[in-house]
Amino acid sequence: MEERLFQTARDIEGLYPHVHIWGFPIATYLFLGGLAAGILLFATLYYLKGKENDMPFTVKIAPIFTFWFVIIGLLLLVYDLHHPKYVFELFTTFRIESPMSWGAWTLSAVSILSLLWPLSYIDDIEAYLHERGWHQLDKITKFLRDLEHKWLIPHFIIMTFRKYRKFFAWILLFLSIILGIYTGILLSAFNAHPLWNNSILGPLFLTSAVSTGSAFVMWLSNNKRERKLMSSIDMALIATELFLIIHMIMGMQAGPEAYKQAAHLFLGGEFTVIFWVIFVGFGLLLPFILEALELKGKHIPPALPALLVLVGGFLFRLIMVAAGQMSEYPF
Amino acid sequence: MNTEKNKYMNPYVAGFFLGLLIIAAYYFAGEGLGSSGGYRDVAIGVINKVSSAYAQTNPYTAPHVADGHSPVNTWLVFELLGVIFGAILSAALYGRLKFVVGKAPHITNKKRLYLALLGGILWGIGTQLGRGCTSGLVLSGMSVNSLSGYIGLVAIFGFGFIFAFMFKKLWIKKN
Repeated sequence: MEERLFQTARDIEGLYPHVHIWGFPIATYLFLGGLAAGILLFATLYYLKGKENDMPFTVKIAPIFTFWFVIIGLLLLVYDLHHPKYVFELFTTFRIESPMSWGAWTLSAVSILSLLWPLSYIDDIEAYLHERGWHQLDKITKFLRDLEHKWLIPHFIIMTFRKYRKFFAWILLFLSIILGIYTGILLSAFNAHPLWNNSILGPLFLTSAVSTGSAFVMWLSNNKRERKLMSSIDMALIATELFLIIHMIMGMQAGPEAYKQAAHLFLGGEFTVIFWVIFVGFGLLLPFILEALELKGKHIPPALPALLVLVGGFLFRLIMVAAGQMSEYPF
Repeated sequence: MNTEKNKYMNPYVAGFFLGLLIIAAYYFAGEGLGSSGGYRDVAIGVINKVSSAYAQTNPYTAPHVADGHSPVNTWLVFELLGVIFGAILSAALYGRLKFVVGKAPHITNKKRLYLALLGGILWGIGTQLGRGCTSGLVLSGMSVNSLSGYIGLVAIFGFGFIFAFMFKKLWIKKN
């Protein structure tokens, strides 16, 4: 055991001049969790609307990535812990009033379902890849098909999933909304940090998560209709995000002193430029304009607005995590 | 062919607008136009982030980090961000927004990119020795009737002609 002597609370690491315990890994995890939630929301929603063959990338292909996003996010979460070996304790209980408990269980359920969802479409995925002349992944798809056909337990699980896909789609749709909103609610539950402690943060993170999900599909899909639809949805989401941001800052400005100081971080304080110029300017307004021009018939490479939205979404989480820790109640 | 041509503004009209833009920049921001200084500020910002102690002792970077505010918080950096924003919008509006490597058809992308990197490095060194590039030194310098602006103009375009002749093989195919 390491013995440490503290003369003042300021000696405790990560607390002075303000809390700075969470950094890059947490922001990345919040981004990846939100991105996975956004992709799964569209996949399940359009499946339930009967569009699985009209929107093959959204429903069948994009969810392949979500399992990996969730796993990388979870690894980053564990990496960030001071005592990683106690992470299992989160799974020994469920506390309805704790967002972290909701998150731990939702992530576990989503990681399993996000693996089963694309596995249940393995034949369609293989056909999709072959149609586009991508034979590099043949060995993997063959292995997964064999796994399903030759092994009893995986065969049973995947067949059951396929049979009750509609039921699982409803569950996954619900869980993806919980996952998207929970990342914001997790932060807003910290009542010692006024910037986080507001009820807009949950819906704002959910909107941003769904927006990054639509940008991901828009970027990688080569179906024109699918891309156009995602582009229009993303525009509505960006507009909603802007509305929520302005609403959040106005609410803080109208609140007590601590909340005014929190808003000041974005209104002349340390994060003003990066928030308004880089995130709002380049991560929301520019992709919105580009998507609008594309809908008007201008040729815009889909990768550009999509990348701007994705980088903007990541930056937004980095800013909110860093700025939130700086926002405190004055002593 | 005609439509290709019409995608770009008449260069004389564009030059006139550029002149008006300099007046506006001096009026609103109190500073002229530039670009190399913006890249320098970003580079100093990175150095300052990696090692603030080094940035404060190095004679080249020290004046930029002396007053306590971020070296990236300068007019030129914001101007460059505006240039990027405006350039993307302009290209999108006129149907020129695409990912391409602009080069002569007979050289490879790799060669073009290596040479562009080499040219960029030389440009970076040159602009710091000359204390400005075509926009900061020549355009803004000449707009305030600075002698260095005129010397810069003659040097940049004079040597530009000589180097263009020396390296024309990279752009014009030899028959």
